[in-house]
Amino acid sequence: MVMLSTVDRRVQEDIREVMYREALALDERRFRDWLGFLTDDITYDVPLRVVREDLAEWELSPNGRIFQDNRQTLEVRVRRLETDFAWAEQPPSRTRHYITNVLIDATENENEYEVNSSCFIYRSRGDSIDPNLLSVARKDLIRRTDDGYRLARRWAAIDQAVINAHNLSIFI
Amino acid sequence: MTRESGEAMDERIHQIREGIAAGRFPAHVFNDQEIFDLEQERLFNKAWCFLAHETEIPEPGDYVTRYIGNNNLIVARDEHGGVHASLNMCRHRGNMMCKSEMGNASHFRCSYHGWVYKNSGELIGVPYMAEGYGGALKRKDWGLKKARVESYAGLVFGTFDEDAPSLEEYLGGFQFYLDLYLKQGLAGSEVHGPPDHWITETDWKIAAENFSGDGYHTPVAHQFGFNLGYFPSSGATHSQGWAASIPGKGHGIGLGHTPGMVPFSGFPDELADEMRQSFTPEQIEVFSNTRTAVGTVFPNLSFLMQPFSLVPGEPGVRFVTMRLYHPIGPGRSEMYSWCLVPKDASQEYKDAAYQAYTLAFAQAGTFEQDDLENWARVTRMAKSTMARDIEFPYMMGMDAVQDPEFPGPGHVVKPYVNDSNFRNLWLRWADYLTGEV
Repeated sequence: MVMLSTVDRRVQEDIREVMYREALALDERRFRDWLGFLTDDITYDVPLRVVREDLAEWELSPNGRIFQDNRQTLEVRVRRLETDFAWAEQPPSRTRHYITNVLIDATENENEYEVNSSCFIYRSRGDSIDPNLLSVARKDLIRRTDDGYRLARRWAAIDQAVINAHNLSIFI
Repeated sequence: MTRESGEAMDERIHQIREGIAAGRFPAHVFNDQEIFDLEQERLFNKAWCFLAHETEIPEPGDYVTRYIGNNNLIVARDEHGGVHASLNMCRHRGNMMCKSEMGNASHFRCSYHGWVYKNSGELIGVPYMAEGYGGALKRKDWGLKKARVESYAGLVFGTFDEDAPSLEEYLGGFQFYLDLYLKQGLAGSEVHGPPDHWITETDWKIAAENFSGDGYHTPVAHQFGFNLGYFPSSGATHSQGWAASIPGKGHGIGLGHTPGMVPFSGFPDELADEMRQSFTPEQIEVFSNTRTAVGTVFPNLSFLMQPFSLVPGEPGVRFVTMRLYHPIGPGRSEMYSWCLVPKDASQEYKDAAYQAYTLAFAQAGTFEQDDLENWARVTRMAKSTMARDIEFPYMMGMDAVQDPEFPGPGHVVKPYVNDSNFRNLWLRWADYLTGEV
């Protein structure tokens, strides 16, 4: 028998909506607003994937990261985008974050929820007809705060080992 | 390539070489199929190519898979501690032996007909040896194709050229500068983890040149950094420092200096003390006053050391990135990026250096992002038909004379903003492409 989430359906609906609104803030390039979705102690990690044999201890590097950010460094990234000199995003990428397979589970902390989701990112740049396509597994932590639900952890593993995007000047 | 077009190509390379000496370099070479083919044949199959850092394969059996040119290799440490680089191709019917990027194995068994090789490349197992081959096949004749392997201060290089000079001669004195990255403290440097690698529509040469000491691009390409208050130097003082290159070898490094900087600033005190012991007096004189060190080992291995803080304006830490620009097509590269940390440093310092590195460099790094954007555009424009007639100016610092007081080897000129290293780099590149090396 499949175990279903014990989290109240109404709570699940609310969290799912927050996830979608967070994605919309990114896709509409409202990065300052996006920071508002994050807790002050957020950890934001995109681990490095390494092609390994099936029996290897890990495929996602325990200490290798593409992003290893916290609130301060994410703030720096956003401040950078707010200058006139973030050439990587001039003109800006068009992104669409497709969030599916969202599963919300309870944790030992009654105010925190483990949120697994699949995220597919389409990124188009300039006049290029070759978009970057990133398939991503996310394991996020959502916390209920006095100001509503906030993202306390983003952990996002990209499925492709060698990524064919010249840079990652976007958020995952 | 036909004989005629081969001769025409040789003539073209000779013209390019003359142009470099006169301070000009053609645009089209940064995205050109014929140049790419010639590089594969005459450069990457002959030069010493970087394979791995020894700390990536510390234990017997540890291996990584890497490239020389378009040849995929297994780089493995054998049971006696020796490092071998073997073409990752079964000698029986050519299957790829090892399909993972890293791991530990004493043997590799082909998944097609089952030939088994030691990680040193020696063939030791052939199914149905007696029934099938009788006595016709001798195992010792059918080992994996090996590359020559030599190393310097943890860097493992390989070449398929039996006649190539030793790695020591190939580096030709550039070791003096490499030590800054490789001997951070008495125990030396280590990789923080596996490399980030990704595909980019950038010709490897653009990146190799930039990292051989392009102090000129920094105030503009990375203007946001000055804008947010990241740099201990301003745009006005940024150009101060030296361009050092090894004539006839192609290697070059830019050494940015900020007036009044604290010697070895950004290093923990205990590490600075160790470096005062591990470096020569000449190295101490150079390195203690170096803010930024950005260099390329010819052809495509580069390093950068830079003090950097997570938040602009704070004191920051030194991070070192090592990168390999692996050519996979004209105007197309696979970028490898590692972070090197001092073995002797505290875990806290290593982690801080790594986090600073990820914020600034590799695929999502704020500085690298802008470089990659610019380089992809350069690559795109280089393919224009009009670019075939366009040359770039490379005459910056043509008349600069050797700094008589600088204690390091090579051709050393001021300021840090200079084309001197690039002329040296492209002259060496042209030497290889003529087939004369």
